[in-house]
This record gives sequence, C-alpha cells and structure tokens, in this order.
Amino acid sequence: MKQRRVAITGLGIISPYGGDLPDFFARLLAGESAVHFLHTDDIPRPLAIPFVSCHGFNPDEALGRPLAGMMDRFAQLGTAAAFNAWADAGLSRGEPAKEESESRDNWGVAWGTALGGTLAYEKGYRELWQKGRERVSPLSVILGMNNAANAHISIQLGLGGVSMSHTVACASSAIAIGEAFRRVRSGEATVMLTGGSDAPQAYGVARAWEALRVMASGDANTSPYACRPFSADRTGLVLGEGGAALVLEDWEHAVARGARIHGEMVGYGTSCDHSHLVRPEAAGQVRALNAALSDAGLAPEQIDYINAHGTATAEGDPVEVAALKLVFGEHAARLPVSASKSMHGHQLGAAGAIEAIVTVLALREQAIPPTAHLKALDPACTGVDHVTSGRRHKPLQVALSNSFAFGGSNAVLAFRAPA
Amino acid sequence: MESLDLIREFLKDHVGLDPEKVTAEAELAEIGVDSLMMLELMFEFEDRCGITLSSDLKSPKTVGEMVTLMDRLRSEQS
Repeated sequence: MKQRRVAITGLGIISPYGGDLPDFFARLLAGESAVHFLHTDDIPRPLAIPFVSCHGFNPDEALGRPLAGMMDRFAQLGTAAAFNAWADAGLSRGEPAKEESESRDNWGVAWGTALGGTLAYEKGYRELWQKGRERVSPLSVILGMNNAANAHISIQLGLGGVSMSHTVACASSAIAIGEAFRRVRSGEATVMLTGGSDAPQAYGVARAWEALRVMASGDANTSPYACRPFSADRTGLVLGEGGAALVLEDWEHAVARGARIHGEMVGYGTSCDHSHLVRPEAAGQVRALNAALSDAGLAPEQIDYINAHGTATAEGDPVEVAALKLVFGEHAARLPVSASKSMHGHQLGAAGAIEAIVTVLALREQAIPPTAHLKALDPACTGVDHVTSGRRHKPLQVALSNSFAFGGSNAVLAFRAPA
Repeated sequence: MESLDLIREFLKDHVGLDPEKVTAEAELAEIGVDSLMMLELMFEFEDRCGITLSSDLKSPKTVGEMVTLMDRLRSEQS
C-alpha cells in the first residue's frame, strides 16, 4: 500500500497563556512560567498547590450555549482547541458547503484524555455525600464519559470517520496523535483532528496525586518556579489544565486545496516498559525512541531537538536522560533537549499534544524553548545538551517529542520542519 | 415561581434564550430543548418544586404543554 506523507495543517490550543499560538510560543521562548499558587475554598482542607490554570478561557464565548453547558471542562477545553485548529487549517465546521463536493466520511478524530470528565463526577459526589441529596444531574454520564470530547468534536465538525479516545495517562494525547498519523499515512483517513485535553483540578484527583508524593512543593511566592525538570533541587511535577489540537492531513490533499503547512509528521513509536506501574525503565523508552526513528527512516544523528517528557520527578528525569544517551550515543552530548513543562506544567492527557505543538512550532520558527529554572543540573541528568534559555538554533530539520506515562506506556512523535 | 417563569429562567441560563421568545406556542425542540435538555429541565423542575415525575411521563411538545403539565403536577403533589 502506498504510504502517504502527513502534513500538519492546523494547530489550536487553549493554554494558560491563552489561545494565541505566536504568543504562546513567544512566552515559552522567553522562559515565562504560567504556574501559580492555587488555593481553593474546600473546607476543612483546601487545596493549596502550584497549578496551571487557563484563567482567560470562557467556555460560553468559545463554544456558545447550549453547547458549553453540555460539556465537562475537559471537553470544553478540547473542543475549543479543536475549533481553533480547524479554523487554522482553513476548514469549515459542520456539513461541508454545497460547493464542496468532497465527503468527510473518512475524516476522523483521535483524542487523548487521562481523566475525562472527572469534575462532573466530583460534582455528583459532592451533591450526594456533602449535600445529602439522593440523585445527580441526568447529564452526569454524558459530561463525564471519556469519549465526550471526541464525540462533540466529530458532531461539531461533521466528521463521519473514526471517533475515538485514548486513555494512557500522560501519554494519552501523544498516542492519539500517533494513531491518527497512522490512519492518514495509510490512506484510511484523509484528515484527522487529533490532540488531547484534561482538567485535573478536582479535589479528589489532586489529593490522589499528592498521595503519590510526586507533586512539586511551592507557595504563593515560589510557585512560578516550582517545576524544575533535570534540576538537582527539583521537587516534582505541577499539574495543569489545557487542551491542544492538530489537524493531520494527506499531504497531496493539503497541497491541492492550498493549505498552509506548518510541518510534517514523519514517525511514531510506542512501547511498554512491562515492568512497573510507576517506576519508568530506560529500556522501554529506548524501544519507543528507536521505533519512532525507524518509522521515520531517520538516523539518530539527524535529530536536531528533543522536547522531553521531563516532568521534574526524582525518578523520571534521570531515566529519560539515560534512555536518550543509549539511543543517541555520542550525538547525545550535542543533542538539544528541553522540558517545556517547566513553564506550562503537566496537563496529563493534554501534555503530549501541547508538547507536539511546541515541537512543531520550534521547527517552524527555528527556535528552541528552554527548560526554565534549571540552574544546577542534577549529576544524574548530565550527558545531553540541556537548553536553559530560549535558543535560535539553525538549522532545525527534525525533532522528537517524548511522552512517558504511568503504566509504563511510552510514545515518541517525530516531526520535520516545513519544506 | 410560576411555571412559565421557571422555564424561562432555565432556558436563559442553559440556552441563552431571550425570555420573551419563550411563549406558550413555542415548540420546545425549535428553541433548543432536545431530549437531553428536557431531562435536565425535568430534573430542575423536580428539584425546585419538590415533586416527582414518573419515568413513563409523556414529554410535552410545546412550552404551553410543559406549563400545563407542571401546573397539574404541582397541584396534585402539593
């Protein structure tokens, strides 16, 4: 079967910095942290954690009513990001216009979310257990279901092909993007809308992550610097909410309709550590990295930048660097690596899509955003070229984006700069 | 609160609909009340009026039919 080239023709984001892509990338390049101190009014034990919120996001404005009211926040963030990506790709919403004879019956959605509509479920629990009510809203099921975002997106964009959600913890949207890529490359789909979203600020969710002892410490003054991947004094990850979407399109189809092409997706590799639920293993990550390189037909020396998974946990960061050294050998020392989570936080099921967009923009803009707040490198994380301030690094031709999840699931995406 | 006012308030909050457009003759489906929204409306009605709707209740088609139904149930269960 003829393999098709896969163009990236649309990018959309709902981020803590807003929805404007050039502004989003400029802030990352400048090392600007979006982390703030979240202090909730939960009595008697409020949440008080470093967090990343999309303060400026107004669901009613972005989606309109009644649509916004039919969604949990994770689906609102995701659908709004999808609308942005769709508009960026120059495609119309809903049924194609009459003059467009082309069917969208094989156009689809592959979406990633780690938690789904957890806020809707938590609201129901509060009604039942705190307020003593005997029932919950009849919309609870459709608000909470993990496939709500992709279902809404398919309906709103009029896409008749596959509509699926991937729940693979922190690799959810990277795997969604990879699976979407395969469908376009094989010719099964002409266009795929893909990405991910999550809104993990549910009280129970945040408390559960705290109990794992992987959350960064911070207060009102120190929260902006709380996430310090690869740093000797790192204390853990910072959760955040957000949504990000990409339009992947058959290259010839994109060219024929005169679409702007942000870049090309050229490879995808995935693997499982098959060893431990939360302790990552370099061997598994090596398999995913090698699979992505092989899938793209690239040699390690051809990679110009890696957007690391880099969550700033004690265990995760050294293992990722060890995997990079195993795959890239002598090239590793010259390989620019950065973890943009240091600024935009960890959006769980949206993280892979946000970082895929960061990677595509790095290639398009020929600039690498830094790992912010990296002053004293952990001796266990040496051996790659850590980018500690925004860097113009010409030429950037090919880059990888890593996502390594709890459960041992690994995903690596490979992108090429626009021709 | 009168039943019609309750419906108007619900539709303003959930659909963003101008209360003046919520007339007795208006078809519920045409003003944005689909089957899911109807479930939510019934739920809120039960909540705020302290009544219970049977699960085999026939769904009204117009705002006027909805008002009649709500008034009857409120009267029966008060």
